[in-house]
Amino acid sequence: MRRLALLLVLLPLCLLPVGGCWNAREVNDLAIITAAGIDRTEDGRIELSVKIYLTSPTGSDGGQMSGQPSSDKGTLVVRSATGINMADAASRLQKMVSRTVFWGQTEVFLFGERMARAGLEEPMDFLMRHIASRERSLVFVSERTAKDVMLLAPPIDRSVAEALIAMAEHQTGPNITLKELAQMLVGKSGAAVLPIVRINPVRDKQAAFPYIEGTAVFKDGRMIGELNEQATRGVMWLRNEMKQATVTVTPDDSGGYVSLHLLRNHTRLLPRIEDGRWIMIVRITGQDDIVENTTALDLSEPDHIGKVEEALERLVEDRVKYALELAQKEYRADIFRFADAFWRKYPKIWKANADRWDEIFPEVEVRLEPDLRIARPGLVGKNFFRREQR
Amino acid sequence: MKLSGHLRDNIRRLEAVYSNCADLIFHDLLVGGHTPAVLVYFEGLIRLDELDQHVVAPLRDGPGPDQGLEAIRHRTTVASVKTVATIDELVDEINGGRPVLLVDGHASALVFGLSDWEQRSVEEPAAESVLRGPREGFVETIRTNISLLRRRIRSPKLKVVTLKLGTRTNTPVAVIYLEDVASPSLVREVMSRLKRIEIEDVLETAYIEEWIEDNRYSPFPQLLSTERPDVASAYLMEGHVIIMVDGTPTVLVAPITFFALLQTPEDYYERYVVGTAIRWLRYLFFAISLLGPSLYVAVVTFHQEMIPTTLMLTMARSREQIPFSALMEAVLMETMFEALREAGARLPKQIGSAVSIVGALVIGQAAISAGIVSAPMVMVVAITGIASFMAPRYTIGIPIRLLRFPIMFLAGMMGLLGVMLGVIVILNHLLNLRSFGVPYMSPLAPLEGRGLKDVLWRAPRWMLNRRAKR
Repeated sequence: MRRLALLLVLLPLCLLPVGGCWNAREVNDLAIITAAGIDRTEDGRIELSVKIYLTSPTGSDGGQMSGQPSSDKGTLVVRSATGINMADAASRLQKMVSRTVFWGQTEVFLFGERMARAGLEEPMDFLMRHIASRERSLVFVSERTAKDVMLLAPPIDRSVAEALIAMAEHQTGPNITLKELAQMLVGKSGAAVLPIVRINPVRDKQAAFPYIEGTAVFKDGRMIGELNEQATRGVMWLRNEMKQATVTVTPDDSGGYVSLHLLRNHTRLLPRIEDGRWIMIVRITGQDDIVENTTALDLSEPDHIGKVEEALERLVEDRVKYALELAQKEYRADIFRFADAFWRKYPKIWKANADRWDEIFPEVEVRLEPDLRIARPGLVGKNFFRREQR
Repeated sequence: MKLSGHLRDNIRRLEAVYSNCADLIFHDLLVGGHTPAVLVYFEGLIRLDELDQHVVAPLRDGPGPDQGLEAIRHRTTVASVKTVATIDELVDEINGGRPVLLVDGHASALVFGLSDWEQRSVEEPAAESVLRGPREGFVETIRTNISLLRRRIRSPKLKVVTLKLGTRTNTPVAVIYLEDVASPSLVREVMSRLKRIEIEDVLETAYIEEWIEDNRYSPFPQLLSTERPDVASAYLMEGHVIIMVDGTPTVLVAPITFFALLQTPEDYYERYVVGTAIRWLRYLFFAISLLGPSLYVAVVTFHQEMIPTTLMLTMARSREQIPFSALMEAVLMETMFEALREAGARLPKQIGSAVSIVGALVIGQAAISAGIVSAPMVMVVAITGIASFMAPRYTIGIPIRLLRFPIMFLAGMMGLLGVMLGVIVILNHLLNLRSFGVPYMSPLAPLEGRGLKDVLWRAPRWMLNRRAKR
């Protein structure tokens, strides 16, 4: 009896190794993709370009013994493949690469502008469905083809991907991950924004580097236009993404500039429906540091601080209004997620008017309520070199 | 068999029992100058000076003839004297190292409690050293060991029950408990299990440990062994039973739980904040010592997306020229490490350092530059090695070292799923285990709130002491 029981335990155990090392992939059998670019060719096919990190010691460090990683930056290669859709291109890409293509470490996805204008639904379906791709990777739109950006070798960072991530972290534009993009695309408003990557300078390949400027506006999955840097700031204020920036204002008759460093900013959207009018109250609060003062104002005086605060609020209002104008009148795209705010507060009214949102949005009355305060004027009050005292 | 009244017969019988025992001494003497008598003892097991002074000398001009054994007994100046009447008892006493006096004309013999032999003095136990706390350790003599406990718990409630185990070695075994603290059923259970042992020799507590465990096939120890009298006393105070065997400094504590094996005396000798922190660190590294290499293997061969990108790239580069799979690498290195440790443990101290130098080369830079293993693997093995040294008791460290290997294979075959499978099997086993009827994982499973304060953290002393008021 006991022997039988033992046998019953041991027999299934023998089955374990039958599976072998199923699904096992050693790290050194992988082609690790750090960034992927997706372009649309002129005949409507999809061109997938990926940046693959070379782990094998080649060229210069080939002479080195042992598996010690050399300290210099790793070599990267770009491979591209064209297919009728993402999956097709991806499988063709595998043919070009001797190792298993590994999507799990892809940190950056770039869409070429033509691809973006043609619509993101198709590539997004592939990326969200694929088990290995990271939802936390960042997404950008490229002014030129994504492949051009892939081919860059920015001198400071290890790879284009790292350069773009580092730049995105500095908040020069909205910081959109794959997950956020998908949320925006399926959200109530159906509009989305993505930062635009440009190349500078375009001519010289060696010194060229990518940078982020401006914002692409998407509606129903298609890119319909772009916002310049000023408008991008306004969008970021409204989307509560303004966390890190330096702004410069000119207080009334001060004859100079005051620069402020944004510290703790928060934007709240308070929707309201009054007599059939759709109103959005935007409350922007924040505390800021003064980093430079070339005006005649003595910033140790509370009155003068008030003046600067006023100027700051005016500036923010201007920017937000500019962004609102573009979004409401020109693009008619609710990139500020107003729709979600209304839906959350008035679910029933929203449901009844959901189809009309495209008509309602341009007419939404936006009331700005900025309340920005200066937290720290710095160690000195007035500028040293200004003689005249006020 | 009863002793006879004739000295000649008794001596002849004894000589038959102890044929070829050159160290047995038959010392003839005349009590009071007229009655023949013989002192029988083993050389080296008695206090010869005292025997001379307190037995031989007084008896030389001892009581007159025909005064009886009682008179002879009163003549000697020894505190511990008893009378035996059978040959078997006599042999027992002689084996125990007590000198025996046979007097002509008496069918019984006198036994003097003058046994004494060479023994190690009380020293700090090498395996369980502490920075703060008593430095005494048990020795090989059960008498001394019991006295070490008596000195700590000065209470008549400290009970010592002795029995003899081993049909050939006749080793004294003591069961020690605090009468009003230890549950009577536990004491009964311990005694009955000890009595059921059928064994020829008991040279170490491990001999009886395997007999009285609840689960004889488990790799996990179900009794705690310690060389420290303070630890043994602490367990007595908590109602545990101590089993002591003559001839070994290790004593057994029963029952115990899994968490008792992860505690050290210093948890209680340091401040409770420190004690708690160190205890948490120990739990963490205990898990690492079981799962370290398996997790690495699983992540490297199955779940590459879990590694931060930068680390992943470096790891991929360092693994580039390694001919083996991560699993092979891990098994290789872990086996090497275990071999080195075993080699180091058995060697004399002078050669031991040579092993550690070679070891550092084998599990280290040389192995990496030879292209046999990758640098991250060496780190993982080293961390796991450190972690396994953190197991406060050697007995709990061994099963963990052993179980590391099957989990490693599971990780190599099925990734994290395999690791989970292995952990579930082990947990299942642990939850089924009992030590003298006490669930092994208590107070965590079954959950007992009060006990948790000495498991999840080390509560301050004034919270731990709940019996003091009684």
